[in-house]
Amino acid sequence: MTVTFQLNGEDCSFHGDPMTPLVDILRRERFLTGTKAVCREGFCGACTVHVDDEAVPSCLKPIGLVQGCAVTTIEGLSSGNQALHPLQANFEAADAVQCGMCFPGMVMSLSAFVRDNPHASRPEIKAAMVGNICRCTGYERIVDAVADCLDQARKAGQSVGGIHV
Amino acid sequence: MAPSVERSFTAASTLEEAMAARRQGAVVLAGGTWMMRDPQRGVDLPEAVVALHRIPALSKVEIEPDHVVIGAAVTHAVLGRALHGAAGFEGLVAAAENAANPGIRRVATVGGNLCALDFAAADLAPALLVCEATVELETFEGPKLLGISDFLKDRHALLAEAIVTRIHLRRDLVASAHIRLPLRKAGDYPVAIVSLAVDKDKRCRIAVGSVEPVARRWTTLEQAMRAGQASALDPERAAGLALEHNDFQGRDGREAEGWYRRQVLPPLVKRGVAALLKTGGLA
Repeated sequence: MTVTFQLNGEDCSFHGDPMTPLVDILRRERFLTGTKAVCREGFCGACTVHVDDEAVPSCLKPIGLVQGCAVTTIEGLSSGNQALHPLQANFEAADAVQCGMCFPGMVMSLSAFVRDNPHASRPEIKAAMVGNICRCTGYERIVDAVADCLDQARKAGQSVGGIHV
Repeated sequence: MAPSVERSFTAASTLEEAMAARRQGAVVLAGGTWMMRDPQRGVDLPEAVVALHRIPALSKVEIEPDHVVIGAAVTHAVLGRALHGAAGFEGLVAAAENAANPGIRRVATVGGNLCALDFAAADLAPALLVCEATVELETFEGPKLLGISDFLKDRHALLAEAIVTRIHLRRDLVASAHIRLPLRKAGDYPVAIVSLAVDKDKRCRIAVGSVEPVARRWTTLEQAMRAGQASALDPERAAGLALEHNDFQGRDGREAEGWYRRQVLPPLVKRGVAALLKTGGLA
């Protein structure tokens, strides 16, 4: 079966088993290894990508369901030549990244969240992170960075998603 | 890359197309969050699948003054948003908004949740049981309506030649609540789930999920609570009655042993009745 979709803004096609998990195509065919395949059960969030602007686990998304969709991975959020997504900039400034394994998924989940929830409270930020497990347990610093990011955007009168996503 | 497999994949755009694929032996693929884990469980993925997400009628929530119709391909996230603030559906909204984690809720569907035969911890099952939902199926002989209790009991046989298409709900509840006990605060399968609702005749309905392999109504407790109408919704009394009428056989599982699932039910009932009393319909 042939599946066509947009990947980080470019047309892309896949020929093969339509039940192949999206994460495997990203990593093994497209070499977009920022997306991590960890639990493969939808529990850890390390494989989170945006499909039609929604943050979803790519390990449980058969490529057959991606036909005609727009997929954005961590690599598509900001290329090396551009400014970082504001959330990434805040994570860097807060030194929130530890081993880095969970972080692409964390950024993909939370970048969609801050775009859609510009006035989110701290408990709401935590609720949004429920599906992203950090083995280094650096959660509080991540929550701080997200809260700072939203605060800065509010003061600047901008939506976080409107800047860069 | 996965081994090369000649797999049939139909993205049906009509129910007729989906049924034609089913007749050819295709297995229904909903959001994929359960089926895609089959390889992790040592189970091969089906050789032929039919996806329902492109059938517009199955992706809608219709809210009418006296009833609600939920398409089987509606996701948990969409269901939670659609019914948010609808009086009487607080429990169903809580079930949709707290199941699994946000990423799963954006993908996992109502139909998938009810049709995952070996998934005992489905949040929507007890929540829909207390709504006394009617399940609409498309069978090889035509459409069929079935009460959700009967559907859950017989679904193994029913789904061999049918597709769940819609869930119908009457708007006859004044309040409902959904209490779940995960081992962590959120994100994993609940050890036990208690859904409660009060209808317009002030009757309390209670259902339990995750304790036994299939969710069911707790009819002995419902009857006991009816016996003392005046204090029926007292949390302490409800917990006492739950202890006295606990007729569940807890299932052993990775998250918890059966005895524990059974033992946590009275405190969950107490929490549930307290939550009911805080809802707009009863406060």
